[in-house]
Amino acid sequence: MKNTFSLPINSLTRLALPLVALTILGAATVVSAREPFTKAEINEMDQKLTDSAKRGYDMWYGARADMSNNGLACANCHPDTAATNPQTFPKFMPQTGTVMAFRDMINWCIENPQGGKQLDASSKDMVALESYAYYLHRGVAIDTGMQTHQTAGPEVKTARGLNVKGTGIGFDK
Amino acid sequence: MTQEFDVKKREMLALTGKAGVATLMAQAVGVNLGLVSVSDAAQTPFRFAIISDPHLYSPVDHVFDKQLIDAVAQVNAMDPQPDFVIITGDVAHQGLNDQMQKGKAILSKLKAPIHSIPGEHDWYLDMGEAWRNAFGPENWSFNHKGVQFIGMNSILVPDFWTKAGLTNEERRDWFMPLNSPVPGLWGCGDKTRAWLSAEVAKLDAKTPVVVFTHSPLWDYYPRWNFQVSDSADIRKTLGKFSAVTAFHGHVHHTVYKKIGNLTSIGTMSTSWPWPYPPVKFPDEKYKQYRADPANTADGMGSASVDIKADSQFVKYEPFGDSLPPGIKDGFKV
Repeated sequence: MKNTFSLPINSLTRLALPLVALTILGAATVVSAREPFTKAEINEMDQKLTDSAKRGYDMWYGARADMSNNGLACANCHPDTAATNPQTFPKFMPQTGTVMAFRDMINWCIENPQGGKQLDASSKDMVALESYAYYLHRGVAIDTGMQTHQTAGPEVKTARGLNVKGTGIGFDK
Repeated sequence: MTQEFDVKKREMLALTGKAGVATLMAQAVGVNLGLVSVSDAAQTPFRFAIISDPHLYSPVDHVFDKQLIDAVAQVNAMDPQPDFVIITGDVAHQGLNDQMQKGKAILSKLKAPIHSIPGEHDWYLDMGEAWRNAFGPENWSFNHKGVQFIGMNSILVPDFWTKAGLTNEERRDWFMPLNSPVPGLWGCGDKTRAWLSAEVAKLDAKTPVVVFTHSPLWDYYPRWNFQVSDSADIRKTLGKFSAVTAFHGHVHHTVYKKIGNLTSIGTMSTSWPWPYPPVKFPDEKYKQYRADPANTADGMGSASVDIKADSQFVKYEPFGDSLPPGIKDGFKV
């Protein structure tokens, strides 16, 4: 049975040649298709993410009354989000005997060491804490599973690790 | 006062060496002995203990109160008993007097006397006033059975608060995060270094020396102030001695590094364990296990150090099963 979709070689050649020519001569045309977002739109979206991460930073380092009944904050044990390994979640956590998402682990910490009230898992506050932790772990390979060994945190070179303006006090530029 | 008097009495009874009695009597009458005689150094074995970073909060029966109480019980159960206990800073998390007094009260249950140096949490609310009232001078040096013990305030930074018009609480709060962007690197400062040089000048180069600072005397991870900014100068001053052992708190985990004639050893806290920073670790053997967050006793504890004429033996005393086989049973310095 004749394959109606097959093309003779000369037909392929005829098609390929213009394609090659297009690739060589019209590369700019192909990649210059309209950017999905304008620069202004991208900046605005980056700013929204930074704002969320900054909100997360403030919550991470300040023990908000509802999140802690003993003064402990996330940063007591996790400076620069060290030893949180958000890129390894979901994973099995022995303390609950279940596979937990990162936000579940955040809530576990709020409820247990911090003695606070769990955050609504879909709240802006929870997203903010996740924003901060994931922001600092950008570029780290996703690697699900148990982490039993000591892990070092992400290397943070600038003050907060976020693209935000400092207070101007002391070294906080 | 009674306890201090009793301790002095015990020390007097324990000192059988000629140099020991001479030193104690000289201290009592304020006589400068000059160089300590090496031949009498550390001939009588003894032990001291270390408790670090209690970070007490104000609420009654806070979880960290119990952990410090547990460390005190650990030390009180040591056999033989330590001759004294060094507290390497950060007793009061927010530097409040009630936290300081709570720490002093808990530590007063130790059978042995204490010597303390401040941490940044103790200091920046009132520039050390409550801490000094509770624990005494911030820099000290004394000879015990031929070994020179030196403690220094290592958490001083240049004034960033006056120009910015900060309140005492605001100044203190900028020291709360380990990675605070404001204060910069801290150190001992000119005054303390001059004091150290004067102390060192009195000592024979073969005197065994043990030094205590809140943070390490080498650049471990400056971003978290796991450093002392003038540590190179301090190491140079201490360079005249055959060997120096330097203990520090602040890092809340086990760490060990030799640098020149100085062996630096980090202590566990009684409050919480800090994770290891993202730098090459000097010697993996000395890395404690990752703490289990579900076990509030994990990753913390105290330490004992046995001093003999020719060696020092360090043993971390964790609350739980926190140590790998290589250091679990202690190690020789």
